[in-house]
Amino acid sequence: MKKFNIAIVGLGGQGIITMGTVMKNAALNSDLQDVSGSERRGGAQREGYVETFVKYIFYENAAEMNNPRKNMHSPMIESGGANALISLEPLETLRGIKYLNKNSIVIFNKTPYIPISVRMGKTKYPEISFIVSELQKVTKHIYYYDIDAISLEEFNSLTQKNIIALGILFAKADIPIERSAVESVLAEGKGAENNLKAFALGLNL
Amino acid sequence: MAKSNLFVNGSEGDKAIVLGNEAIARGALEAGIGYASMYPGTPASEIIAVLDKNKKCIENLYTEFSLNEHISLHGAIGASWSGIRSLCAMKNVGLNVASEPAQFLAYTGVKAGLVLAIGSDPGAPSSSNEQDDRWYSLHTYMPIMEPSNIQEAKDFTKDAFDVSEEFSFGIVLMAPSRLCHNAGVLRFGDIRDRKNIKGNFKKDPENYLNLFSLAVKNHAKYLERNELLKKYLIESKFNKIINEGQSKIGFISSGVIYAHLMEAFDILGVYDHKILKLGFSFPISNELIKRFFEGLEKVVVVEEAEGFLEFQIKKIAYETGFKGNIYGKEFFSKTGEITLDDVIFGVSRFLEKPLPASFDFASKKYKELSDKLPQRSGTFCIGCPHRATFYSILKAVGFSNTEEKERDVVIAGDIGCYTLGLLPPYNAMDFLTCMNAGLSIGQAISNFDKNKKVIALVGDSTFYHSGIPVLLNAVQNGADILYIILDNSWTAMTGHQKTPSTQKDIDGKPSANVLNLKDLVKSLGVSYVKSLDPNSVKRFSAQIKSALKEPGVKVLIAKRECILQEIRRNKSLFKNDAKVAETGESLYEIQKSRCVKCSECFVELACPAIILKKDEDNGGDYYYIDPASCVKCGVCYEICPNSAIRKVEFDLKSEFKLKKGLPEAIV
Ligand code: SF4
Ligand code: SF4
Repeated sequence: MKKFNIAIVGLGGQGIITMGTVMKNAALNSDLQDVSGSERRGGAQREGYVETFVKYIFYENAAEMNNPRKNMHSPMIESGGANALISLEPLETLRGIKYLNKNSIVIFNKTPYIPISVRMGKTKYPEISFIVSELQKVTKHIYYYDIDAISLEEFNSLTQKNIIALGILFAKADIPIERSAVESVLAEGKGAENNLKAFALGLNL
Repeated sequence: MAKSNLFVNGSEGDKAIVLGNEAIARGALEAGIGYASMYPGTPASEIIAVLDKNKKCIENLYTEFSLNEHISLHGAIGASWSGIRSLCAMKNVGLNVASEPAQFLAYTGVKAGLVLAIGSDPGAPSSSNEQDDRWYSLHTYMPIMEPSNIQEAKDFTKDAFDVSEEFSFGIVLMAPSRLCHNAGVLRFGDIRDRKNIKGNFKKDPENYLNLFSLAVKNHAKYLERNELLKKYLIESKFNKIINEGQSKIGFISSGVIYAHLMEAFDILGVYDHKILKLGFSFPISNELIKRFFEGLEKVVVVEEAEGFLEFQIKKIAYETGFKGNIYGKEFFSKTGEITLDDVIFGVSRFLEKPLPASFDFASKKYKELSDKLPQRSGTFCIGCPHRATFYSILKAVGFSNTEEKERDVVIAGDIGCYTLGLLPPYNAMDFLTCMNAGLSIGQAISNFDKNKKVIALVGDSTFYHSGIPVLLNAVQNGADILYIILDNSWTAMTGHQKTPSTQKDIDGKPSANVLNLKDLVKSLGVSYVKSLDPNSVKRFSAQIKSALKEPGVKVLIAKRECILQEIRRNKSLFKNDAKVAETGESLYEIQKSRCVKCSECFVELACPAIILKKDEDNGGDYYYIDPASCVKCGVCYEICPNSAIRKVEFDLKSEFKLKKGLPEAIV
């Protein structure tokens, strides 16, 4: 059995859940495969921490898939268990650090959304350099971009930033599913044209 | 789910990525339900929402968003007695409201299968408590099924209807938020033929009349049925013993925690202990547990909350004369969510097995860092009318963040989106428990502390849920209190279900029976009632001030639709009108030269569209309204004491191009 775990973190309203759904739908072809992963969603409110997990499970054979000791999977990712972490908000990348190990790929968006406590002057928002140096203590594979700016420039809107981030993921990490599978999921969904463009954009960053 | 038609038309052989909640709904559909209802509540809402959304293409399906859980469960009982398989869903605390019908359900029994799906919320990310509803079954006798993953969520729900009919119990299907909101592969089954779903109520006084000696007879009958069910559960497919080793150690678990446990074994490289997976966590058969205990010296129960399984297993161990030791809550916390990490820690401690290096390193690293990171909490959406309401209340009672002024008015909280007003920067609630506790607790406080004014808050959906008798009670008993109903026309927090206040649907269609809330309040005997737009903050604030001076029960209705729904409707109505979407008419802008950074808009109102930017000219920073997120509600424009915010004609496109050259937001 092989596993590939992706943790996606960020804030409510950033399209985190959609990213998870796209990645899961891209993995429906093979029979010897399982996909799972829970989402943390509160109410409809904005700006709270949101995370979603995408867990791909590949069985060696049918016997393994029917073995009750092998075929039951937690909807969560354990500490140090992510092959890749995508974060759409810099501070939340640091909260996502718990999923990282020395081989994990980290992709993060460096546009900060400041929490209320910072707004009120009660705490300080960490510098990007601090965030990067903390991440580097765990893994060397760190990539960050101003994805908000890229999305605004190309699409006049922030709604594409999540799909751009997925493109970057495929460019930087060895994801065990086909790009074309993601593309066909995007092609079937809402806003297909822009999403395909955003994905391609991310792939070339 | 991506292909929503599969939810309706899928059959054996199909698979799709679905949400746990949708899997439950699909299981009910495969079982041939004709009735589905709920009072919306996170994490359970999608269970009924997905059926409601698709009901036009599902033959003979009745769905209802009931006004509360008590009504909703009674509706399911009525449907069942009419021969219709029925599904009722609610969140954990909903069962408190529905506990009365639940209590009677074992006495009367069901006719067609009845399943009560409960979304529990350990860790309480979207609830006001983390109660474990399984304990209810010790007296309601409702059997409990606990699926461990998406597939079981569907399969168990489907089977639950058969078990319900065979033993004449309403079955509880328990799913924690981790399962409700887990999305993964679901393999579909076939759907029962829906043509013949037709109600036919047959009198059954022996069972349905429940009083005096008849109630005592029914009591005896359900205890008997419970014993029969226990017998059935010894060999059923729902409870599984996994055993091929010689180990004298056994693990018992259920639900999602079982899934965590199996993964924890894999991560720790442990494959040889005996395992009991309980698909039914109530009732539990002594015989089954006795079989499991065979050859064991140590047993550990792995579960969430206060140990409902452990409680039962220890009782059975006593009754069956088990000589080994039973553990549970020594290794797994009674409070908060039990995560995969918690199970790994607990199992490693119990087995005295070292943690994997990368796990150990990552969890330590996180611990070391997490205290230092600024906490983040949710807040109202940009343009949310609740933000204006809280701002107006706080201004009316003299509270200020920036000047550190306290308020001496007591503010009673309640349940809904507006509950977020208890968080900083507003801190505008002094207590919060359950639905409609605000006014009744507040009424008593105002009675006994005459030195303080009391304001009680409630949302429209919560008011209709159970607030009407509470308000009537306040009137009847001459309370002195200001009651503010935040009427945004939707049950917004749970995904925007309609309320009696909903004027127009999202596609612009007017609702059939819109209630006039002001008239309703008047008819309850309140003479001081005014309805006004909370976004006119100055007017609203003045109104609150003068209402507080009046004696008796005063009601203010803060009437403005949820901004998300307003935006969605406009988008769907104007989606072909590219002009409206792209150029915009007017925008709000902070004039750098006039802004004195008094923070009225940035901290007191705290609209997230107002951000801090670095000033490249002088290295300082300034307040800036982000045009990409501002929804032009105009509240900041109204409150700026220095007239630094202006309305401008704006070409959005050129602004976005400009943005590239602008300094980044700083921190
Ligand atoms: S309220 Fe006006 S003066 Fe005060 S910070 Fe905001 S824009 Fe500046
Ligand atoms: S007008 Fe002002 S308060 Fe309203 S959304 Fe825009 S920035 Fe926020």
